[in-house]
Amino acid sequence: MNTIIKTTELVKIFRETAQEVCAVNNVSLSINEGEFTAIVGPSGSGKTTLLNLIGGLDKATSGSIVIDGQDISSLSEKRITEFRLHNIGFIFQAYNLIPVLTAKENVSFVMDLQGRKKSEIDRRATELLTSVGLGDRMNSRPAKLSGGQQQRVAVARALASKPKFILADEPTANLDSKSAANLLDMMERLNKQENVTFIFSTHDPRIMAKARRIVTLEDGKTVNDEAR
Amino acid sequence: MITSLAWKNIWRNRTRSSVILGAIALGLFCGVYINSFMTGWMYTTVDDDINNHLSHIQIHDTAFSANNDISAYFPREKVEAAVGESGLVTAASYRLSLTAMLASANNAVGITAKAVFPEDEKAVSTIWQNIADTMGAYLPDDARTAIVISKKTADKLKVKLKSKIVLTFQDTNGDMQSLALRVSGIYKTANGMKDEATVYVRYSDVFPVTGLPENVFHEAALRTADLETCRQADARLKTLLPDMDVKDWGENEPALEMSLAMTEFFGVIILAIFLFALSFGIINTMLMAVLERTRELGMLGAIGMSKRRIFNMIMLETALLTFVGSLVGIIIGTALIVPSLSSGIDLTPFMGDQFEDYGFGSIIYPVLNVKMFVQIIALVIIAGILSAIYPARKALKLKPLEAMRN
Repeated sequence: MNTIIKTTELVKIFRETAQEVCAVNNVSLSINEGEFTAIVGPSGSGKTTLLNLIGGLDKATSGSIVIDGQDISSLSEKRITEFRLHNIGFIFQAYNLIPVLTAKENVSFVMDLQGRKKSEIDRRATELLTSVGLGDRMNSRPAKLSGGQQQRVAVARALASKPKFILADEPTANLDSKSAANLLDMMERLNKQENVTFIFSTHDPRIMAKARRIVTLEDGKTVNDEAR
Repeated sequence: MITSLAWKNIWRNRTRSSVILGAIALGLFCGVYINSFMTGWMYTTVDDDINNHLSHIQIHDTAFSANNDISAYFPREKVEAAVGESGLVTAASYRLSLTAMLASANNAVGITAKAVFPEDEKAVSTIWQNIADTMGAYLPDDARTAIVISKKTADKLKVKLKSKIVLTFQDTNGDMQSLALRVSGIYKTANGMKDEATVYVRYSDVFPVTGLPENVFHEAALRTADLETCRQADARLKTLLPDMDVKDWGENEPALEMSLAMTEFFGVIILAIFLFALSFGIINTMLMAVLERTRELGMLGAIGMSKRRIFNMIMLETALLTFVGSLVGIIIGTALIVPSLSSGIDLTPFMGDQFEDYGFGSIIYPVLNVKMFVQIIALVIIAGILSAIYPARKALKLKPLEAMRN
């Protein structure tokens, strides 16, 4: 198995006036291609901060993050944005779709940013939306879709750029139990069938139940790293 | 796809975008209309003055230009030769120009009497067309000692058609000469000031008492095909007649030429002020649009949309908003102006003929020209870009993570 993410002694300190908060404290972690990993822990344990650091959305105070051989801690803001576009897929808790675009356009948008050909974009967006069960809702705008359907579109969008891995921050937090179960089944299928690497930050026991590796954080430190 | 997204973003808040689009359209409509109206007003005034009074080019002896001395004349052949050589003049009228007193039984006024050959004069001046059907004719052959005066002069002298009036002037010897003339026609042009100052008499009636030699004149009035040819002819004649005073209409009436240039300039300034005021509305609208979408713009940055692309998208949204509003305004403005291009806009019901007292016509023929549209489009582009920069810079400063936490 290829290691696609390797963090070494990763530290993130937030400074708030006179106080320092160490959100991520010396975390060293390796994640291999094809993993279905959940980062869990109580609120304030540093899950989301760790995910943001791995996703290049935040800068570490110290330590390194190497993704597929590339140390992203040293990249400029411009380069890291470009890196995210081609290497990382994101699924957000609040779906964060573009409301004025249809489901298909939302999925196509990332590929358009990558500069792919229109015919390829069209074909892949159709394939992805069909694979997440929204083949019949491609021309619907987010407002016309349920929460579960919107999150499926977000999954399709995250996959569209052919990323090395997908970071999902509390993807089921806003969904009812049925939608959450369906979404998880779909992501598990994508992981097993297409070897898509998923890394979740979550409280959701349903995700924990399906995850094949659980990394537990407390006060920013890794307190448990368990493969199943 | 970014263009398509920018366009869709504009319509997220239909009411807000419609209001600002309407404001831009209204501003541009007013700008186009006022510009066209004012330019047309000045062009109408210039055309009227050229057609009735100034002609395109006038040639005088330099001494005559300085003091209107009756003895400062030029031989016709000299000017005729130069005019023929220039090849750019379509008609010429040679005149004697006499500073004179015109008196009726009731009043007397100082005027300039132009002694002309009626048929030649008709080819350079449209005064004869400004004599109403009931107001006689332009120096008819069958009338003895005829004079054509303006309505204003007739009112001052309290004379009517066929009234007898006396023209008094100094001949070349300094002796006063008086001619009894009958009013053969009363004209009225849009320029009341010039109407008051000028009367027309036949050369054959006046010449014998002037003391001037034959075939000499004070003034050559020339017509060319158009204003561009006028400029060329003026330059050519200045070269051919270096010792004479050759002036085109603008040099004869510098205030008129300056008014035309100023009107065009102020038209642009007015439009620029409209757009400057509108740009605050555009900035406000786009700023609201950016602030409302902070979270979404953060998400776009997170998934890999570069800051340059986000900046360009906001610039494009602002530009589209400005250009669409401007286009609507220009189209409406143009559509409303087109019908009055040939028929003109008659201001008489609102203002009477008071403009004529100051040399301006009361019927305005608006003008639509390429130059005006180029100026408008250039101003719109500048305003669009300037309005776009501030909201786009706001978007540029957003950090994806902080923006998504918004």
